[in-house]
Amino acid sequence: MKKLSKLLLALSFVLSITTSAFAVTVVSWGGAYTESQKLGYGDPTAKKLGIPVNWVDYTGGLSEIKAQKEAGKITWDIIDVYAKDTIIGCDEGIFVEFDFDKDFAPAPDGTKASDDFFTGMPSKCAVGNILYSWNFAYNKNNVKGTPKSVKDFFNTKKFPGKRAIYKGAMSSIEIAQAAMGTKAGKGGDKIYNKLAADGGVDKAIAKIKALCEDPKGGCVFWNAGAQPPELLANGEVVMATGWNGRFFNAQMEGTPIVQVWDAQILDYEYFAMVKGGPNDANGKAMKVLREMTSTEGLAGSAKYIAYAPWRKSSIAIMEAGEPWYKDGKTSMVQHMPTAPANTKNYILMNPEFWADNQDEIGEKWEAMKAGL
Amino acid sequence: MSTEQILSSDGIPLEISLKKAERKNKFRAVMLVGPLFLFLIITYVFPIGDMLFRSIDDRKITQMLPNTFTAIEKWDGQDLPGEPVYAALYEDLAYLKKNKTYGKIIARLNYEKGGFSSLIKKTVRKLGKFEEGNYKEQFIEVNKRWGQNDYLVSLKNAAPNWTFAKYLKGVDLKYDQNGSIVEQPEDRRIHKVLWLRTLKVAFWVTIFCFILAYPISYLLATLPMKYSNLLMICVLLPFWTSLLVRTSSWMVLLQQQGPINDLIVWLGFAANDARPELMYNVIGTFVAMTQILLPFMVLPLYSVMKTISPSLMRAGKSLGGTPFVAFRKVYFPLTIPGIGAGSLLVFILAIGYYITPALVGGASGSLISNTIAYHMKSSLDWSFAAALGTMLLVGVLTIYWIYNKLVGIDNIKLG
Repeated sequence: MKKLSKLLLALSFVLSITTSAFAVTVVSWGGAYTESQKLGYGDPTAKKLGIPVNWVDYTGGLSEIKAQKEAGKITWDIIDVYAKDTIIGCDEGIFVEFDFDKDFAPAPDGTKASDDFFTGMPSKCAVGNILYSWNFAYNKNNVKGTPKSVKDFFNTKKFPGKRAIYKGAMSSIEIAQAAMGTKAGKGGDKIYNKLAADGGVDKAIAKIKALCEDPKGGCVFWNAGAQPPELLANGEVVMATGWNGRFFNAQMEGTPIVQVWDAQILDYEYFAMVKGGPNDANGKAMKVLREMTSTEGLAGSAKYIAYAPWRKSSIAIMEAGEPWYKDGKTSMVQHMPTAPANTKNYILMNPEFWADNQDEIGEKWEAMKAGL
Repeated sequence: MSTEQILSSDGIPLEISLKKAERKNKFRAVMLVGPLFLFLIITYVFPIGDMLFRSIDDRKITQMLPNTFTAIEKWDGQDLPGEPVYAALYEDLAYLKKNKTYGKIIARLNYEKGGFSSLIKKTVRKLGKFEEGNYKEQFIEVNKRWGQNDYLVSLKNAAPNWTFAKYLKGVDLKYDQNGSIVEQPEDRRIHKVLWLRTLKVAFWVTIFCFILAYPISYLLATLPMKYSNLLMICVLLPFWTSLLVRTSSWMVLLQQQGPINDLIVWLGFAANDARPELMYNVIGTFVAMTQILLPFMVLPLYSVMKTISPSLMRAGKSLGGTPFVAFRKVYFPLTIPGIGAGSLLVFILAIGYYITPALVGGASGSLISNTIAYHMKSSLDWSFAAALGTMLLVGVLTIYWIYNKLVGIDNIKLG
């Protein structure tokens, strides 16, 4: 008996070593999102290259990888991160700098990778994988009339009831600025110019504060992406900001919610590769990353979730393959945050603005919340 | 005096043989305690020491901008510094650019003042075009922020190797350009509010737990075995359920369209369109945290009450006391060790809570631990997180000390 348990122990030890040596570990946010990544491009990549891909969940931020690096034992290869984290990670030397057109596959028609995506990358360590949106939605059973613009989100006379807002200042102050009548301009330039001006942030925060203190309004602050559709479905709030993919999934499940795209904030999710990760030197991590961010790869994930692949060529594949959604009857391109009907007035999240100001704005924001 | 030695049976002097045996025993004792001692060092002493160290250690940036800091030390912080400071800054930045390590100073300086991130990056990008001499003018030309006093004062503040600035920030204070301590601008004073709120929540949760736990523990201790066992399981069952599950269950129960509100409306206490808000405010925080921490109050109370003989109450009554007087004069004082242990446990646990208040507390649910988590995970300002953590630790130790003075730590009983 004792021998057997020893044998098992040794076996599991060997197994754990071999799997960790062979599999490329990709770290992402979990839930429906990781599911879409795994089914959309993770599994096909693993099959094609013969390199197992191992998915791990985390809750964002660079603290874990920084700790791994400080401890000298890195176990992650590729991380799904926010734009500002790619900047910080690149500055701190945590991530590998890419030679973009060499490292990433061209589009099927030969277009260079750097010409195939919608905008430039925020840092040399980033490669985009999806575009998602911070938009807002309402439950049509609980709202009289149809909110159409971001001004309606703040209009408690016409649409009384509580609003759900993200717990942080990010996204909240942008829509507040837009609701004060500032047009987004090219990719939201004008919004960020106003916010960066003296007192700009204070005015935007005051706008949110007024909404929260309005007896006809009021705020619920959400933490997790699953909350906004839920708060709308159970009538806790009448309108909620949130991530469009979550709203879409709720709609597919039959929740009577409607998304509004005016002043939506387009944001990228990125992959970054860990410098000195277990599969950095042997090149496997790079191979996997190249395959996952190829035209077919990125189009694949949009089969499972309403986030847009960043490659223009991926959209073409989707259009040719409609109905693209996994149920086989829903056309996906119209639900993409990048669809022309949805981008009439949009803001592109400005990571540089946030990298510069997040701490200061964060403090002001928390001070406002503490005074509610 | 006789010089004759007492020998043991194998001819070795008794004293030596005794010492030998003693040594063996000592060695055995050390070996037994050793692992635990190492465990304590590795899991407590070392990390806490590291935390203390991190909160005041600021040497990294000094090593990266040596010339600048030497030059800026002579500056009085009033008018803009002269050419030498800018020349030194150029020298340092050029060196960092060559080694591609300038990224590391960006985050550090940005904690000091927002905007440094883009300022350093833009400057480094244009560094190649600088001509020799007149650096001050060239810096200001690249970005006018180099001509603003605030940025240079922040740079000066980052110069010392060891600093208590993070502790000052933890209570909304900072160093000004003269190095004297002043208050943060009003719209950025956030930490004092959070400290007070954290203490308030922990205090009330402890009170509520006490009020609820006392009768429960009394029942547990006095009921016949077959009922008290069942009751014990009811107390322990939530203990074995995940914290998140319990918190989300409260979210289901407390929401405005939820069952508790339905009941209130059905009973006629509130109109359907004016349902009370039971969540996303302090009520939600108190309800959920009290329920979650209740077992920590019940168990110590129960174990103390179990040891109180029922005959004591009877004796009190037979001496002429009413049941209330007997309770107040006899029973209650005997339970104080349990109350002390329970309150201390609940209070200390409550002071570090953050998931539950963040989920059910709405805007009022952000406590000091949330801020620590934010600086650990999001801003990566680990030294500030360490400073806040140290302050929390000192706070808890102070409470422990006060408790020891008032009640005496020997009076604590967990069973």
